[in-house]
Amino acid sequence: MNQKKFYPNYFTYPAIVLFFIFYCIPIIASFVMSFTNWNIKRINSPKFTGLKNFIRLFEDDYFMLALKNTVLFAVATTIGIVVLGLLLALLLNAAIKGKAFFRTVFYLPAVLSLIVVGIMFKAVFKLDGGILNQILNAIGLSGLTRDWLGNGTTAMWSIIFVQVWKWSGFAMAIYLAGLQGISTDYYEAARIDGATVWQRFRKITLPLLAPAFTVVITMNTIGGFKVFEQVYVMTNGGPGNATQVLNTYIYKEFSKGTLGRSSAASLLLFLLIAVIAVIVNKALTSREVEM
Amino acid sequence: MKNKKTVSTVILSLVALLSSLIIIVPLLIVVFGSFKDAAEAQLFNLALPSSWHFENYQVVVEKGNMGRAFMNSMIITLVVTLFVVVAGSLNAFVVSRKKCRFTSFVYYLFLLGMIAPIQIVTTYGLLQMMNLTGTFLGVICVEAALQMPWTIFTLSGFIKNVPRELDEAAFIDGASPLRMFFCVIFPLLKPIMATVVVTTAMGAWNEFMVPLYFFSSSTKWTMPLTVYNFFGQYSSNWNYVFADLILTALPITILYLLCQKYVVAGTTAGAVKG
Repeated sequence: MNQKKFYPNYFTYPAIVLFFIFYCIPIIASFVMSFTNWNIKRINSPKFTGLKNFIRLFEDDYFMLALKNTVLFAVATTIGIVVLGLLLALLLNAAIKGKAFFRTVFYLPAVLSLIVVGIMFKAVFKLDGGILNQILNAIGLSGLTRDWLGNGTTAMWSIIFVQVWKWSGFAMAIYLAGLQGISTDYYEAARIDGATVWQRFRKITLPLLAPAFTVVITMNTIGGFKVFEQVYVMTNGGPGNATQVLNTYIYKEFSKGTLGRSSAASLLLFLLIAVIAVIVNKALTSREVEM
Repeated sequence: MKNKKTVSTVILSLVALLSSLIIIVPLLIVVFGSFKDAAEAQLFNLALPSSWHFENYQVVVEKGNMGRAFMNSMIITLVVTLFVVVAGSLNAFVVSRKKCRFTSFVYYLFLLGMIAPIQIVTTYGLLQMMNLTGTFLGVICVEAALQMPWTIFTLSGFIKNVPRELDEAAFIDGASPLRMFFCVIFPLLKPIMATVVVTTAMGAWNEFMVPLYFFSSSTKWTMPLTVYNFFGQYSSNWNYVFADLILTALPITILYLLCQKYVVAGTTAGAVKG
């Protein structure tokens, strides 16, 4: 059969053209503009300035803080989601009542807009009458109540909590698909050999879930580095710069009109994600076993 | 033995119920709060409204410009979804059927898009150059480009399992490639299409960053942008803020509850390696 004629290349063009113009060209442009003094005031006449943007970024304490916060956010949320998602999946895979209802509820946060979720959690974390402080008061832990988002040390962890709240159900769905793919024969055989529940989990469930772990960890690490909306709506990087992350820093620089510098920051985020995605994926894929 | 099983079922069901409260309680406070007056809503509790203020919604629609924002969101979501689904499935079909250097290049090109974040500042510069800043067309093109990679990977994974004999039969009958695709292949993609359409529509509806950067005029704002702005103005009127949140979340929540099977399939489709 004539492949060329039957699967014509022009079928692929509309998607490629759009993707190339609106996604790839900006990436290439970022590599160029990061080395210029491109500015909103002279948008059409950027001048080459070498590594100056990058040097200035690394000298800027706020940028370094944003970088540190972003890494903390990505790592902490990934760990939280990987563990909680797995617990939820195991729970729903066990014999419980009302599975369909719980699956619907646990997944629901994943479809809600980050803006809606962020504003809702402002009500949760509020100092006066906020839902969390009310609960703490009710269970006799009034000493722990505080202005969760207005406090430099707790603000970042509150935003991390929101991310875990939003995406654990999504991870659960991935694990559940993985769990359903594991043949019950393995468990049957292990039971006959006298393996305990814990041994069955360690030696059968965990290794055979490796592909699901790869997907959950990779997706959430990448997603964590891209964090923007939650921070923008909940603290806008504050108090002070305590919750500044790379994407809010980029937006701040962009709003000031220093386009060259914000391109440089954006390019660094791009490189960071690309490197980490490759490393994480390589490390995890090698641990997967054939079913 | 039987007794032990029932006990563990009860305990585990209780654990599930308690965990689900972490999701349900804040949502219920928002739902009830949206019908309260300002003073009552500010208490953030699970009590039913002492009197039901349905007019909160009317206030929000008028003051928050929700009608306009709803139309804007609809336009963007519909066009993005339509383009991504048609262009994406044409692309995925050829990429998954034909093995050559060109198609493997296309594969890696879109793989890049699965990982790399959007370069938003230079995208802004590009739109400026093309005179597309602040236009629906500009935002639609950028959002469609962002959604394309996932769509293509999901569809390719599915098309691989559609038997090639069907293409050959159509070919022998003298159908043109386009006709073969739309009359033979496209109808077979129905189940995965539902997933792709719902997922893309949700992504476009919830997108915040792209319209934030590219729409300076509030007449073009989408629902999430309007909500954010409304919250800034009425942050002491939680009853209005909550009503606004409900109106923004409702279309997506209804879509989710109706098409849950397809939405969750979208999660795991991305997880299947191809």
